[in-house]
Amino acid sequence: MPWLAVLVAASLFGALSMFAVPEGNDRQARIHALVASGLTLVVSLVMLGNFDRGRAGLQLVDQLSWAKSVGLRVVLGVDGISIWLVILTTALFFLAIVAQSFVCCDRPRAFYGLLLLAEAMLILLFTAGDLVTFYVAWEAMLIPFYFLIGMWGGSDRRRATTQFVIYTMFGSLIMLVAIVATAVLAERHTGVFTFNIAALSGVPFTAHESIWLFAGFALAFAIKLPLWPLHAWLPKAYAEAPILVTALLAAVMSKAGVYGLLRVGVPTFPHGANTLAPVLMTLAVIGIVYGSLVAWRAPTMRLLVAYSSLAHLGFIVLGIMAFDLQGAQGAVLQMVNHGVIVAAAFGIVAIIARGTGTEQIDNISGLGAKAPWLGGVFLIITMASLAIPGSNAFVGEFFILTGTFRHHQWAAVLACLGIVYAAVYMLRLYQDAMNGPRTTDGSKSELRLQDTIVLLPLLAAMFVIALWPNAIVRQTRASVAKAIAPAQVAAGRPASEIAARVVDNPPLVNRPLPGDPAAQQSGVTP
Amino acid sequence: MNVIASLPLLIISGAAGLALMLGLVPHGWTRRVGANVAAGVGIVAALVACVVQWGDRVIGYHGNVYSDRFSLLIQILVLVAAGATIMLSVREPAAVDRRGEYAALILLSTAGMMLTATAGDIIVIFLGIELLSVSLYILCALEVWRNRSLESGLKYLISGAVGAAILLYGLTMLYGATGHTNLGEIGKALFTRSLTTDPMVLGAMALIIGGLAFKASAAPFHMWAPDVYEGAPTPVTAFMATATKVAALAAFLRILFGTLPAGSHDWRIAVGVVAAASIVIGNIAALRQNNIKRLLAYSGVAQAGYLLIGVASGLLDGAQATLYYLAAYVAMTLAVFAVVVIRERETEKGDELAAFAGMGRTRPVLGIAATVGLLSLAGFPPLSGFLGKLFIFKAAVDEGLIWLAVIGALGSVVSLGYYLRLAGLMWFAEPDESGRKFASRPTPNGLVAVTAAVVVVALAIGAGPMLDVCRSAAESLLAP
Repeated sequence: MPWLAVLVAASLFGALSMFAVPEGNDRQARIHALVASGLTLVVSLVMLGNFDRGRAGLQLVDQLSWAKSVGLRVVLGVDGISIWLVILTTALFFLAIVAQSFVCCDRPRAFYGLLLLAEAMLILLFTAGDLVTFYVAWEAMLIPFYFLIGMWGGSDRRRATTQFVIYTMFGSLIMLVAIVATAVLAERHTGVFTFNIAALSGVPFTAHESIWLFAGFALAFAIKLPLWPLHAWLPKAYAEAPILVTALLAAVMSKAGVYGLLRVGVPTFPHGANTLAPVLMTLAVIGIVYGSLVAWRAPTMRLLVAYSSLAHLGFIVLGIMAFDLQGAQGAVLQMVNHGVIVAAAFGIVAIIARGTGTEQIDNISGLGAKAPWLGGVFLIITMASLAIPGSNAFVGEFFILTGTFRHHQWAAVLACLGIVYAAVYMLRLYQDAMNGPRTTDGSKSELRLQDTIVLLPLLAAMFVIALWPNAIVRQTRASVAKAIAPAQVAAGRPASEIAARVVDNPPLVNRPLPGDPAAQQSGVTP
Repeated sequence: MNVIASLPLLIISGAAGLALMLGLVPHGWTRRVGANVAAGVGIVAALVACVVQWGDRVIGYHGNVYSDRFSLLIQILVLVAAGATIMLSVREPAAVDRRGEYAALILLSTAGMMLTATAGDIIVIFLGIELLSVSLYILCALEVWRNRSLESGLKYLISGAVGAAILLYGLTMLYGATGHTNLGEIGKALFTRSLTTDPMVLGAMALIIGGLAFKASAAPFHMWAPDVYEGAPTPVTAFMATATKVAALAAFLRILFGTLPAGSHDWRIAVGVVAAASIVIGNIAALRQNNIKRLLAYSGVAQAGYLLIGVASGLLDGAQATLYYLAAYVAMTLAVFAVVVIRERETEKGDELAAFAGMGRTRPVLGIAATVGLLSLAGFPPLSGFLGKLFIFKAAVDEGLIWLAVIGALGSVVSLGYYLRLAGLMWFAEPDESGRKFASRPTPNGLVAVTAAVVVVALAIGAGPMLDVCRSAAESLLAP
């Protein structure tokens, strides 16, 4: 059964089905959206059951020929890393559509259609097995988000969307040139023209090529993440988007960048990744400190969560760029954790904003007295966000910091500051909003049934991961080990740390012998 | 052989004469729609002839006309653009005022483009380019009651004449250097020569590239385009933006690929510089426009730059990519222009950007069609504009022209500034209700917009077969 094609097609078809809904029929639009996203979620969960966690490469592969003569194929597949992101995507989009169906909006057909289109593109991104599909999804994802922010966003939405798209496109188009260059240069080394990511791993790029190609990809990833100082689009876009879209941007779309590093950047260009790792790690550490400090002084709840997300993503980058198995596994776990926590946090922000009519932290105080349930749930989310021991984020950040500390003590030590800061800004938010003088009427902010329906699955996921992180971590081991092994070799790590075999590409038997004139010509060093 | 090789051309020329005569019928139905019907039937017949003829090269008129896959593909593109223009011109004031002349001139211009595409001789190429240009000079000035239109025609006439003169100089020098006018013979004569050591050939090349760049509105020979595009009747602008560019690129490919030694770097660098300049100048200048037609003129300059990257690569892959991108370019440009024509008649804003404001709410189908066209022009995947850019960049990188690909990529980022501005205006702004009200029933224009948008998507999904077609067309260019 072509699981992944079905997954993408279900959400895409759901988006197209909006054209069939008569104008003004909100109920029907809602049902279409719920069915399409629900179906996608169910299929993704069934797919998890069919997943073999012991294997490292792509599984459940679907291949579709697109334009054979120029080497374009659509290759879809999941491994231990991407399957969790796919499930995160399907689950969060389903919850988002459920949440949205309680508060209908202006032009619902377009809203649901664009949400489903975004879901399809994100699934396509996380399952892409070749660079062109990866790029198509990477870029096409911008279109629904562009219209979602532009059509339903706040007053300054035009500027926000333009900035958001131009910033990301700048990185992406450089990545497009890098993708083309990768395929063309790899052909010179291996004799095969392909965009397939698996087939490109282990290609002996020269040091110079590897560095430049990695830089081309890393720029796009860093902008999408975003990594300090390329984050200028983030506050505006997060502030102007409808809060549901902000939640999805932070919870799901922000994973695209880190996922790209782990899927494409590090395995394909190990030398470049190793050379530029200090740069990325430095930026990540700066991002952690900077994001935390700005979050501490953020004027609105939404910006606070947005900047905290900047800091959390810094941790994930650290975990990947440390080229440590434990660190990278922690990074994957933390991608899921962060997605769940930040979605829940934005849910709380939306509930408070609905009840009080404001997102300004200074205008909200003492809600907890009249809204005890809200206070309780908010406290759990706060604790999870600041990674208190026993929470799900603790496991992830602990793994990341352990892995980082093993090779880069200074980075780990500085990053630990981030955990301290997280306590500062999250507790500030919680105390200001929930405790203190009862100047705002909290009774209107109390959780309603509809809020509980959306938040409960997120809380449940937090508890499950906190108590049983192995459910995810174990499944990632083989894939993560394979992804970082080439970079570990390039970094000269001891063999005991490298848990996967590094493949040769082209295989050793096909290489020219020393002294063979073909060897000098193609630049391959046997 | 002669008739077979030039069958589509003959059909279109005949239809042009017929349309001219039908326009002279004094009264009644024949006068009202006769010319358009004649044009439509002629275009369809010519398209059928092209499709049926698809195959190996047929040479007619002693090597003056080549009917091969390349020329047939170009003729199909030109005919499609001409057909769309005829549909867009329904109820256009200039066309209503002078039915016969209008349709006949569009067809004559089309015939010129087809002649350029089929030419096997530099004199025929020049003949074709002149025929297409002279018809367009008149078409631009056809709204005689509007000063802008007259100005447009005059400007195009003067700058076009300069361009033609430059091209003619180049062709003359090429003849002087080789002693032949037939492209095949010129190719044989040049095969052993190096361009840099032969000033005559070098000068010929520079002048030919300059003269053709004029027609393709590539920088730095683009100065006329914004004014002419703005002043001309909008369907004519659409025709110039699509069909003329196709014909100019066809001439580029025919002269540069068929005759010049492929290994020579000299002309490739020259084309590369023109391409880079077009991308930079076109994209930056488009940012500051408030008139849709001027904006699209500069966008067309930039697009010519992308098309020329494929030419500059000098590879079969590059020619293939250019042909694919040309097809995509025609579709996406027509999608946008069709909506511009409609909005021009629907609102009081004419061709100002404001005419698009809030269109997504009032005319969602047209809004989606135009948005697809704009996003494709901007190079968003998975639309065909993206695939075209991907193939073009690939050809450039393959040839070591990474700098050209990087300039193209950065240019695309800049282009978002104006394409998204238009798209944003359509969907994010509040509609202005002051305009004239039209029933939103399907019109020929709406049909063109929607069909073009569908083709933009279809070319992306069916990229495989389309690329095979482009491949065989590109290969026929190099056939001896």
